[in-house]
Amino acid sequence: MMLLAVACLLFGLGLSGVLVRRDVVAVLASVEVMLGGAMVLLVGLGATLSTARAAEVHGIALMVLVVIAAEAAIGLALLVAVARQMRTTRVDELTEVRG
Amino acid sequence: MSAFVSQSLFWLLSAVAITGALSVLLVRDVMRMALGLGAFLLAVAGFFAYYGFGFLALAELFVYVGGVLVLILFAIMLVHRGPGGAPTLENRLDPLYVVAAFSVSTLLFLMLRPIVAVAGSSGSPGGPAELSALLLGPMLPQFEALGVLLLTGLVTVVLVMGRGERG
Repeated sequence: MMLLAVACLLFGLGLSGVLVRRDVVAVLASVEVMLGGAMVLLVGLGATLSTARAAEVHGIALMVLVVIAAEAAIGLALLVAVARQMRTTRVDELTEVRG
Repeated sequence: MSAFVSQSLFWLLSAVAITGALSVLLVRDVMRMALGLGAFLLAVAGFFAYYGFGFLALAELFVYVGGVLVLILFAIMLVHRGPGGAPTLENRLDPLYVVAAFSVSTLLFLMLRPIVAVAGSSGSPGGPAELSALLLGPMLPQFEALGVLLLTGLVTVVLVMGRGERG
């Protein structure tokens, strides 16, 4: 149960960062914190399963890890591209979505 | 590992992870925020190792601490270049956002509590041999799809950065 409490606390801290922070870099870092909390819970619960099921959790967690890393890379590339064009990284000022 | 050492390790990892997450939330200096994120990611890798997922812990170290964190530092260096002093991060000073976030996490806790309560306490996740047998066996389609996804992500990053350079 303590694992769940820690994971939910980490998720809440990350979500607070997403809502409170004004800079895109900090928002992306907060998303990583949210996902880290979820991963900790996934792995902690997976460790309580049988060996075969735990290996499946191992595989799923590895895939989630790769997807999160790809998301972070694309997010940071978008950040750099937007910062070059708009000259700002503050989420309050990035209000237009255009092609 | 004795129960005391195991509990102490769990709380140590929790403390490091929560401190790192708090620094991501609160710290104004952008480089210190990145260091806090690094500490958080190290603690998450420690959690993986603590639960016996050694390969995942190593992957977390290589991919996140060695890859994503360095990428974030590069993004900070590229983006936060200004003439005056060190760049700082600002927060919206509205406690309602924090209340909303922790309401969501409390709801999650209450929803997941019955599931965690019935979970057992024994089990071994196996090592890289079991993982590779799984990834190259029943989970091969997903594994291949992941490779395609990574390739797509790579092409997307190149396209986005190329367009930014022309613009």
